[in-house]
Amino acid sequence: MWRFLAEAGAVFVKDLRTEFRTRVALNALGLFAVTTLAAVSYTIGPYRIAEADRPFLLSALLWIVIFFASMAGLDRSFVKEEDTQTAPLLRLSASPLVVWAGKLAFNLALLAVLMAILVPLYGMLMGFRPVSLWGFAGILAAGGYTLAVTTTMVAAIIARAMTRGALFSVLSLPLLLPLLIFVIQGTRAAAEGSPEGVMEALRAVISLGGIMTILSVVLFPAVWHE
Amino acid sequence: MVGGVRVEFEELAKRFDLRVVFRGVSGRAEPGSVLVITGPNGSGKSTLMTILCGLVRPTRGTIRYLRAGGGEVPRHAWREHLGIVAPAMGLYGELDAMENLRFFSTVRGLGFDEERCRALLREVGLDPDRTTPVAGFSTGMHQRLKIAQAVLHEPEVLFLDEPGSNLDPAGQDWLEGLVERQREGGTTVILATNDRREMEWGTEHVALPG
Repeated sequence: MWRFLAEAGAVFVKDLRTEFRTRVALNALGLFAVTTLAAVSYTIGPYRIAEADRPFLLSALLWIVIFFASMAGLDRSFVKEEDTQTAPLLRLSASPLVVWAGKLAFNLALLAVLMAILVPLYGMLMGFRPVSLWGFAGILAAGGYTLAVTTTMVAAIIARAMTRGALFSVLSLPLLLPLLIFVIQGTRAAAEGSPEGVMEALRAVISLGGIMTILSVVLFPAVWHE
Repeated sequence: MVGGVRVEFEELAKRFDLRVVFRGVSGRAEPGSVLVITGPNGSGKSTLMTILCGLVRPTRGTIRYLRAGGGEVPRHAWREHLGIVAPAMGLYGELDAMENLRFFSTVRGLGFDEERCRALLREVGLDPDRTTPVAGFSTGMHQRLKIAQAVLHEPEVLFLDEPGSNLDPAGQDWLEGLVERQREGGTTVILATNDRREMEWGTEHVALPG
């Protein structure tokens, strides 16, 4: 177990180090997030939505911004390995699950940074103040994990394809649609202060995350090697 | 190294869509020998190397890694026994030489032995204290680091695809010594080349038709 963690940690640290020296994924995520947020806050703003519609619409807008920003950068770690021809040596050096775990940890870190900047900004610009902060944090954490585990798997699948950019979004959307529905419901429930609604959504999101994790562990070795 | 690993391949064929790259290729590489694969440009030398190391599946034919002490190495475990240098296999350009070796050493489950990595870098003619990212290396320095990465874990099977390309004459002399030391140490060396000097290092040969 310790050996697995050390090896996966090495993949994570390597990805983190190369990302901080190039900032390709960070810039893509950041630019997309800020642009979308600026467009949403400028065109809609905090006061153009009726009070009764605010919890639902602001929750939906928040997750749409997070989803599209993540589409701009979470495929980078796999695509870059193929583009720079480092993938073959990585395949021959590390076990598939070590690569998967390291890449997942890297995508989780990227998403955590994105959310840490985006969510407070969104709250300020759009006047979004969830009543249940703990519920909101739980939905963000579970939703972020499921988003990362799904996009990590899709990124591995599309990394060797020619039209990667389009494929990443096209393949991700149907897989992430149920997640988006549940996290929006959960965020709305947190905004309205409904613990039952938050728990119901959390159960669904955690189940989806569990299913995607098991599927990834089972399928990734074949996807990575074939 | 305990015993070594023999690599046997029979009736290998590879086809990409309708294009047949090669077919009917057979050979055997014994521990302590150098199998040289030759053939004109486009004959599939590099493709054969990627097939033999398990990165690509052949269209037809079989490959077996056999332990000298008996028993076959399962395909999923081949990677633990081999090291490879190939033009289409890059290192991490944003990392420096030591960081690259540290990474490959750790993901191979060896941990990080700084002294060993420093000694290896000195052996291939690179400065262990140089912190320039590999992207800033000359092609010759890049090739030397690739070779260091390939022998880092003392593999039983060493694949060298045009290893002398981009090396200066001193580097080629050093490479010859390295191949000789690997062979004497019982490593199974499989070398793809068209360089006349490198071809002479072979104890067995497989020629791919054009």
